[in-house]
Amino acid sequence: MATPVLSSSLGTPPYVELHCHSAYSFLDGVSLPDELAHRAAELGHAALALTDHNSVSGSMELAQGAKDAGVRAIHGAEVDIAPDPGGGTHARHLTLLVRDARGWRNLCRILTYAHAGTREGGGRERTEPSVALQTVLDHGEGLVCLTGCAERGVHERSTVRRLFDAFGQQGLWVELQRPYARHDRARNRALAALARELGVKCVATGNVHAHARTRAELQDAFVALRNHTTLDASEPLRRGNHTHVMSSPRAMAARFADHPEAVRETLCLAEQLRFDLRTDLGYRYPGSEEESAPRRLAELCWARLEDRYSPAALRRRSAEQPSGVGERGRSVGRVTHSVRAEAEARLEEELRVIDRLGLAGFFLLHHDMLELAREVAVQVRGAGTARALLAPGRGRGSSVSSIVCYLTGLSHIDPITNGLLLGRFLHEDLRGLPDIDLDFPRDIREILIPRVHERYGRDHAALVAAFPTFRARGAIRELGKVLGLPAGELERMARAADHRADVEHDTPAETRSPRWRWLARLVGEAYRLPRHLSQHSGGMVVSTRPLIDCCPVVPSAMAGRQMVQWDKDSCADAGFLKIDLLGLGMLSAVERCVEEIANTRGKCVDLSRIPFDDPGTFKAIRAADTVGVFQIESRAQMQSLRRTMPENLDDLTVQVAIVRPGPIQGGAINPYIERRDRLREDPDYLIPYVHPSLEPVLEGTLGTIIFQDQVMQVAEAFAGFSPGEAEGLRRAMSRKRSEEAMQRQREGFIAGAMRHVGADEQTARRVWEMVEGFAGFGFPKAHAAAFGLLAYQSTWLRVNYGPEFLCALLNEQPMGFYAPDSLVHEAQRRGIAVLGLDVNASQVQCTVEKLDPGSEQSASRGQAPGSEVAATDGLGVRIGLGYVKGAVVDEVRELVAERERGGPFADPGDLAARAATRCGTLEQLAWAGACDSLVDIGAATKASRSPDARRRLALWQLGVASPGEAVGDAVQLALPIELPRAPRLRPLDRWQRVLADYATSGVTVDDHVMAVLRPRLSIPSGADQGALATSAQLARLPHGCSVTVAGMVIARQRPGTAKGTMFLLFEDEWGTVNLIVPGAVYERHRGLARAEPLLLARGRLERAPSGVLNVLVGELVALERFLAEPGEETVGVGASTRVRRLPGADGTGQAGEEEQDGAEMAANMRAVAPPIQSFASGRRR
Amino acid sequence: MSRPRALNLPRVARVRVKQEVPCEVNGERIDAVRESWLVEDRWWTERPLRRRYWELVSVRGRNLVVFHDLCAGGWFTQGS
Repeated sequence: MATPVLSSSLGTPPYVELHCHSAYSFLDGVSLPDELAHRAAELGHAALALTDHNSVSGSMELAQGAKDAGVRAIHGAEVDIAPDPGGGTHARHLTLLVRDARGWRNLCRILTYAHAGTREGGGRERTEPSVALQTVLDHGEGLVCLTGCAERGVHERSTVRRLFDAFGQQGLWVELQRPYARHDRARNRALAALARELGVKCVATGNVHAHARTRAELQDAFVALRNHTTLDASEPLRRGNHTHVMSSPRAMAARFADHPEAVRETLCLAEQLRFDLRTDLGYRYPGSEEESAPRRLAELCWARLEDRYSPAALRRRSAEQPSGVGERGRSVGRVTHSVRAEAEARLEEELRVIDRLGLAGFFLLHHDMLELAREVAVQVRGAGTARALLAPGRGRGSSVSSIVCYLTGLSHIDPITNGLLLGRFLHEDLRGLPDIDLDFPRDIREILIPRVHERYGRDHAALVAAFPTFRARGAIRELGKVLGLPAGELERMARAADHRADVEHDTPAETRSPRWRWLARLVGEAYRLPRHLSQHSGGMVVSTRPLIDCCPVVPSAMAGRQMVQWDKDSCADAGFLKIDLLGLGMLSAVERCVEEIANTRGKCVDLSRIPFDDPGTFKAIRAADTVGVFQIESRAQMQSLRRTMPENLDDLTVQVAIVRPGPIQGGAINPYIERRDRLREDPDYLIPYVHPSLEPVLEGTLGTIIFQDQVMQVAEAFAGFSPGEAEGLRRAMSRKRSEEAMQRQREGFIAGAMRHVGADEQTARRVWEMVEGFAGFGFPKAHAAAFGLLAYQSTWLRVNYGPEFLCALLNEQPMGFYAPDSLVHEAQRRGIAVLGLDVNASQVQCTVEKLDPGSEQSASRGQAPGSEVAATDGLGVRIGLGYVKGAVVDEVRELVAERERGGPFADPGDLAARAATRCGTLEQLAWAGACDSLVDIGAATKASRSPDARRRLALWQLGVASPGEAVGDAVQLALPIELPRAPRLRPLDRWQRVLADYATSGVTVDDHVMAVLRPRLSIPSGADQGALATSAQLARLPHGCSVTVAGMVIARQRPGTAKGTMFLLFEDEWGTVNLIVPGAVYERHRGLARAEPLLLARGRLERAPSGVLNVLVGELVALERFLAEPGEETVGVGASTRVRRLPGADGTGQAGEEEQDGAEMAANMRAVAPPIQSFASGRRR
Repeated sequence: MSRPRALNLPRVARVRVKQEVPCEVNGERIDAVRESWLVEDRWWTERPLRRRYWELVSVRGRNLVVFHDLCAGGWFTQGS
């Protein structure tokens, strides 16, 4: 790193950089604005202009970074000018710099127009942005125009003349660059002559694309990547050398030795560009200027307070509500009185702070938004349904701690009875706007977003942008391709790389080639750089002034939506009011479930009034019987539940927050659980606080930091930070690439602690380590409370209304941790009947069905011994036809409608004749087993008169009946014909049925794959290897014994916090098995561990004191290696399969086809295995 | 079939330098520098390339292109 050159010691630096690209030029710039600003300061630049291609996405980051670094930020953009009709094919570049607020508005408008047509093709295709020259000329006020870069700038006299006419002598500069290419000097001489002729000045620029020499190569790689080619093939497209790295002012002056006046001019021009983005933006949110807002907000709140905290309401709630945990034993009357008094005091305080901060309009706007959501909800749900009782959305995040939010309907948690501190959300030092996140069911959110666009006007509302960044896998694939490395090797490496470190780790074997070494280096350099512009999941910005005067607005990939060019951090820095409208799958599922309960049992469940201390629900939670519920269903959560043993909602609040990178890295989990155990055994146990001053803030979490707000509370109580400083600490922790900021915070923290509470340095460091470890990610307490509540509600539904809850989950996929197949199997083990696909019974979606008592349906299959049996009330779940992959949804819908009009289908011929369904859809339905019930076995020849022949028969008959032919958009129906007798068809064996199920619907409801395979397993048991155990048998084996388990992998995780260890979850016909694959074993069996669906693991059984079982794996083997040929050395099913097959085998010569060996079976399974949970593939909540 | 033959290969040149600027090439004095440029490329291969090129005019009025190999050292003429 170069030593900083202090400008004061050398006089005024001779040059200012006015043309610089950051990584927000997307693949044409390799440094973050923050890095550029700090490097500029180091090199002694007094100011720095950021001119990304058609974008100001990095401007706010530059403004903040430049302030920290001590250079002045200048804003601008390099704009693509569309070629004149008939003239030229390439867009050309102009550099626009902002002089004043007016200029910023014009730049935002120009960029908005440049992007306006980029999504016109529809879908995900995006065309390059560009704007007509005339548009720039019309919006020149407040802007300074430079004629553009060496390669693609505007250089011909006629166009420069037009620019001169519009911008004038004080607004146009001829731009000189010296990229050390062959014809630089001649071009610059010609440009200087043109400038003299017009009477304008020349200005020198560096066209910087990288802040440091170490990044220079990445720029070359990006050029190739942007052009979809390789480095070897992109020589003409590259700059040819690395002079695009930022240089010192002196070096730049030397570079332009031929044009000293153009160098001097950089200083004169920079002097004129005084627009400060941090202060001059002039953004206002609707309602912010309304004088009556504070009064209106107060009236609204006091009226609702009367209602919600009236003695009657409080009495009712203390009987029902979850919150009374800390209040047991107190008399109800005293409680209601004190709660009321506390609520009044809290409201008065909050209203005072809100008034002082001028935020009344902000809360009214949110209230307004929620009313809009209420209208949408009525429209989406229908007024009369059970769902109508539910609030349209609910708050998450720190807003839940505010009583104003509670009273205005933004949150559903009473902050008083739940003891939530306002802290982070609202305090007098607050510099930005508080965050309010609203969760909505997905269907409501989809309608609400365009409605918000309408309500506030398309010019005034837009979504927030997000910048997906380069991560290890994507970077390996993309940069490896650019380097021309073999695709297969790259893919292998990419799949194996979860983390950045894996690249370097994986490389040594390949170090013989410089290309592999470069890959490791480039991936490291590219890590975390923005890759492209994308849409934030639900953040919206609204404004009183047209938004396009504050920030460019560009169309998003989703039709009808638009977004600003800033991400949430930049929007927050700009003081934009951001409202997060988030879609939460579980909210949708819970709504569906409530509606389903009303349909099937005629009961109206109001989730806000269910008992919050239901013993059955907490029993299930403590037993980790939580598959499918919100948050506490993951493998890690389940293991932790058995140790923390939650007893009430407060415990659940901790529970959802504890399995997070923040508490994990901060080392909070184990101390918390140990102290909880100790307290349970000995109520007099004293919590060992690192320092006495921490007791008040960490009491609730037994001396550990679990919630994000505790970080701030610790900073205040221990290091004497003001609330504003503590907020600064939180922001430093959440920001991208903030190592330097954290270093500064650390020094302030330790010094503060020594001063404020007199802590010694060692103690101060220990507390800092707790705080710093938290920097990963954690929940604020209020957010955890909201999530904990939803976790409870979903568990309550699962315990009390098992079939309805399963049905809702299946219909709301994809969501949660488990694939539908695993959800179904787990439900079956709890005794919930799951009925297969049937064209005469299934709806499009999954449904709850009354079981025929006495039929085999109601008998549960594969129920694990000792497992809790769910309350099913004679109800089961029928899989919906929508689950059949490849079936056209409209046709399936039409099929169901036809069945409801004309009665059940009599046979395959009837189905083909009546349903307007194409052949492909019918075939898929038959393969999935949905037509089994239509087949009259008697119609088959005697040889194949087995129930197992149904699927093939159905397929054959549908083929004969020749269903509808597609004619245009419609389907020509088949004539009903008498079906002939089917020839001899071999029945499907159990294995083939499982494969067919997975291939068609992804869900198998009959046999578990392990139940089919187990009889064929032949495992040589050695002296040191334990015998093969099922998941059910494991429970009876002693701790520490050697064991072998086999199963289908339903989840794999390798979290960054686990130091290379992988966690697998096996499922067999009896249940699930947790496996821990240590890093060394994982390395040996990486391919198997990451991709093989059927595995056998040998290892040691570990039984934790809590009863949690894990298999510590020493060896992984593909299960296929132990599958014997049927009839070879196995008896039982294998043999009977052979017997069954015999009749079909004579004379047809096809019998061999059915006899698959292990490798073939495994290959078939790999092709159809259900998608599994892994953090890399990212199933959504 | 014979491999394609590279044309215009660099030839070693004797260059005298004064203040980093060539002042004599193969015994011929230099009158003026027309242009100088930089090529940094093929860094990802086993033979990376870093050259500083000079386009010069000799006292005899000849146009000369020489480059300084910044990786391995040495001066070469290329083209003319």
